Amino acid sequence: MIPQTFEYTAPATLDAALESLASGERKLLAGGQSLIPLMKLRLAAPDELIDLGHIPGLNEISEAAGTIHIGAMATHHAIETAAAIRGFCPLLAETASRIGDVQVRNMGTIGGSIAHADPASDYPAALLALEARVHLVSQRGERTLPYSEFLLDAFTTALEPDEIVREIEVPVEGSSEGYRYEKHPHPASGFAVVGVAVRVQARGGKITMGRVAVTGMGPHAFRDEGVERLLLDGASISNAVAVLGEGHDANSDTYASADYRRHLARVSAARALTTAISRVA
Amino acid sequence: MATTTIKPQTLVGRGIRRCEDPRLITGTATYLDDIKMPGMHHAVVVRSPHGAAKISGIRTDAALALRGVSAVFTGADVAHLGPVPTAASLPGLRVPHHHLLAQDRVYYQGHPVAVVVASDRYIARDAADLVEVDYEPLPAVTDPEKAIAAGAPAVHPEWPDNTAFTYHQEGGDAAAAFQQADVIVTQRITSQRLIPVAMETRGVVAEWRPGEKSMTLYSSTQIPHLMRSLVAGILGMPENHLRVITPEVGGGFGSKLNVYAEEALVAFVAMRINHPVKWVESRRENFQATIHGRGHVDYYEVAAKRDGTMLGLKLKIIQDLGAYHQLLTAAIPTLSVLMMPGLYRFKNVSADIVGAFTNCVPTDAYRGAGRPEATHGIERMVDILAAELKMDPAEIRLKNFVQNSEFPYATATGLSYDSGNYAAPLKEALAQVDYPSLRAEQERARAEGRLMGIGLSTYGEICAMGPSPAMPAGGWESATVKIEPSGKVTVLTGASPHGQGEETTFAQITADELGVPIEDIMVVHGDTATVQYGIGTFGSRGTAVGGAALYYALQDLKAKIKKFGAMLLKTDAVTLANGACLDEKSGNSASLAQIATAAYVAKELPPNTDPGLVATRFWEPPNFTFPFGAHIVVTEVDRETGQIEIRRYVAVDDIGRIINPLLVAGQVHGGVAQGLGQALWEEAIYDDTGQLVSGELSEYAIAKAASMPWIESSHTETPSPVNPLGVKGVGEAGTIGCSPAVVNSVVDALSHLGVRHIDMPLTPEKVWKLIAQGGRA
Amino acid sequence: MPGCESLERIGDNEFAMRMKMTLASLAGRFDGKVRIADPDPPARFRLIVEGSGRIGFMKGDGVLRIEPAPAGSVVHFDGDVQVGGTIANVGQRLIETTAKMLIKRFFDKVNGEAAVTPAVLPPASGS
Repeated sequence: MIPQTFEYTAPATLDAALESLASGERKLLAGGQSLIPLMKLRLAAPDELIDLGHIPGLNEISEAAGTIHIGAMATHHAIETAAAIRGFCPLLAETASRIGDVQVRNMGTIGGSIAHADPASDYPAALLALEARVHLVSQRGERTLPYSEFLLDAFTTALEPDEIVREIEVPVEGSSEGYRYEKHPHPASGFAVVGVAVRVQARGGKITMGRVAVTGMGPHAFRDEGVERLLLDGASISNAVAVLGEGHDANSDTYASADYRRHLARVSAARALTTAISRVA
Repeated sequence: MATTTIKPQTLVGRGIRRCEDPRLITGTATYLDDIKMPGMHHAVVVRSPHGAAKISGIRTDAALALRGVSAVFTGADVAHLGPVPTAASLPGLRVPHHHLLAQDRVYYQGHPVAVVVASDRYIARDAADLVEVDYEPLPAVTDPEKAIAAGAPAVHPEWPDNTAFTYHQEGGDAAAAFQQADVIVTQRITSQRLIPVAMETRGVVAEWRPGEKSMTLYSSTQIPHLMRSLVAGILGMPENHLRVITPEVGGGFGSKLNVYAEEALVAFVAMRINHPVKWVESRRENFQATIHGRGHVDYYEVAAKRDGTMLGLKLKIIQDLGAYHQLLTAAIPTLSVLMMPGLYRFKNVSADIVGAFTNCVPTDAYRGAGRPEATHGIERMVDILAAELKMDPAEIRLKNFVQNSEFPYATATGLSYDSGNYAAPLKEALAQVDYPSLRAEQERARAEGRLMGIGLSTYGEICAMGPSPAMPAGGWESATVKIEPSGKVTVLTGASPHGQGEETTFAQITADELGVPIEDIMVVHGDTATVQYGIGTFGSRGTAVGGAALYYALQDLKAKIKKFGAMLLKTDAVTLANGACLDEKSGNSASLAQIATAAYVAKELPPNTDPGLVATRFWEPPNFTFPFGAHIVVTEVDRETGQIEIRRYVAVDDIGRIINPLLVAGQVHGGVAQGLGQALWEEAIYDDTGQLVSGELSEYAIAKAASMPWIESSHTETPSPVNPLGVKGVGEAGTIGCSPAVVNSVVDALSHLGVRHIDMPLTPEKVWKLIAQGGRA
Repeated sequence: MPGCESLERIGDNEFAMRMKMTLASLAGRFDGKVRIADPDPPARFRLIVEGSGRIGFMKGDGVLRIEPAPAGSVVHFDGDVQVGGTIANVGQRLIETTAKMLIKRFFDKVNGEAAVTPAVLPPASGS
């Protein structure tokens, strides 16, 4: 309930934050919805917290030239409700709306969430399906990489110790695209036991584009290109999802065994696809 | 003296808003953690992370060296103090000595090992991490059936069979009944271990005054007076030097109907360091070290005739006790045996209990305390029998109910059911859901491949605890009513409400009896220095027993008021109404304020009458009371995921006379929420090394507002003859009626697929597997 | 071993170990023992790792089998992990995932040191 002692700084600029980050056992504090509970349980004990919340300009959401730019400090609530996201990237808005609960969404940020990389978090499925990119900054410079290369494993990303997530870039979804984030939440924590994010384009009853990404099932979210290929080949939904997760480990815990999780992922994918196809304009 | 002709407005029976609520919802109430005292220190308890281990050494130097730490105490420091007491007594009960702090072994994860005291809570928490304990882990056993099987590790070395007691009770001739039966159905049914999860965790503040040798203990407890007596015993302190004050309590549900090591420990610490000390439990500690509920593995057998008449009932309970006895641990399953026949006319019963030690925190009373388990069991068995005989579940119940003409009804388990009308709530519930149409809808749903279920439970329950011969530490309750010289009224109740709303209910009763405005009444409780000895609030007894004591005290007081009234009005007979005594002949009246002043100023006294206007009553109930009801739950099961949707929840509860319908609705809703938790989401899970893996609210899923169905709650009202109010009690009824209705509903949804029984909690995976495997687990 | 800060021989086939495990925000220091048991060089041996720290304690017990292969050796690992304390109380949903990942990290590092390709990741069952 009471964390170990720590120093707290709230830099006013990104440069000041990057400078603090360059040395020592420091942790960045974004929305605090993952970090603070860990600190209260004394599972995490950083020497210093660098609070990004006072740095202006880190939470802006804008659209330019077919790309939506989402500042790392944008809250889940902002993403759920921003006109630009609801209009151009509704899959992300729908995914954000399923995170945790109202209080968590008011505080939690997309940058904090993806840096923490909890296997049961919601964004990874959507970001993989959307082929998002992540923009990182450090004192050494800046770099951008596909989200699929940013997310490596459970709680493991390509983020270097001196880097901060600056922005997430998402290409604007096609206006006739169908989408759906289908989630089976854990009854206690609200985390995704499984969550499947789907985007489809279809013409004349045939799928012309499909993206299927799964979170919660295994140690990290993944895009299932096997399912996507079958869909493009004209397979039925049930035949396509039958191969979902092949070659991927499934987690097992007291709520759901690996077998059930795998099954749930297939059921969720099928339902997500059905809904997404019905939403194709 | 003026006459008044205001039409009386009775408050009893009206759903007025609670008097407690303004302070509770504006944050101006005082809970334990709000208590601040000059020089107050903070204590943190160091607890065993192991389910079973030897302690080979403890080093406290690093903790003591931390600036701000005033003391660290370990097992050796408290070995001379009394053990944590148990009030349950059963023949041959094996009671391990329960030291306040572990001595050379720990027996469950969370077992207190040391207590660190510092000038603030932050330092105390840091210092707790610096206490070094050398543990040698031992094999543990956390499943009660495994614990009593051969080869299990011994929880307590002196009793390698891990059996704390065996108990047998029978009535009639079960063997004969089973021989005559056309049909026998058997089933293993579990009521899983649960964590009570009161919103406010436990906490204690101790203030020692060395000059007066007096100790004031503040504790978030349901039983201040009993706790005082027992803690005084543990400390070896004269009882009249100990005062216990209960601040606002944020929920108890039975988990605070207890005496815990920390209560005596914090008092001991205060005496040693000569500063007030506060201890507040974290949520994780609460999960590990506050008692758990339920923990049954039950084997049921029911014998019946082909026409559905039930002849005999056999029950074997394996009770998971945990590692120690807390206050009522061993007694809880005996309540299950008492209520095992439910609402049915079983003349032949046989029950056995085996109490098993496990390396887990002790179990004890939790909302329903033995009765949800019994009701769940018998209601499942009735459905299983109905399915076997292809009878409608409502029909078989109506056929076997105790009939209205049979009350008071002597059960084969030795109880006397006070009053009942068992068919009424069932028929009312069936009408509300339009049962025949529901069944028709179910047929259509099945044809479409949808899994719709209709489940009912008709429950009975034993509460208003209770006649003292049957209770471990007294079952009466006390009340004092004082009319102050100004005419204001103070009620002191020995019950200790902790969220039930008795300040409102008792004010309603008092207002009606005395005819005073409710604003003039103050209800006081929870202070052993102010309030006469009382037993406390648990077992749905607050209004049924505490309210009855209040009623009788009010009658005594009214008699005295009339004497003074007659004296003042210089007449023989007066009537008391609207807060005044009225002389019908002359039309003169004297207000309560005038009468009170006269009683205290005492210029004149009626013959044989003392000054003052106070009445105290200790009331012994002649019996328990027996609420009953019917819950009907309509569910739909998602075939592909096993998820359960509750489409409709109807509860018709008969809790006797209703004093405040708003409070009763609250109790029903809260009771159903906890019943749903057991049926669908909750389970305290220990792994087989003794780790509580459901250790936080992120793992243990309690009911939340968003997960609750709409509850259609209504009542029939069959007064109880046991107390003058006719009240039966409602605190636990909702929980008791809920879980079997839910499970019966889901089994009904899946019965055509071959499913016959499912154990709680009905997790989606469990349900999905059963569907996939055609009913075989 | 990734995060191993010190390893000191205290007996035949037994080492005192100090390890720091980092996983995103979690950082736990463990003090404990590493023991090699049932040695059957060069084909197999049992590795028992026990550690305890503030965030809890853990015990890993697994059998390593080393088989010759065309381009080096193939190491098979089959083991059990038991966890206790805070990490067990609040992290049970992640124990299996994390255990597998850390074991994989170990073998990735071994691979780096000795050019051995890790094969057949263990079905590590948590308690």
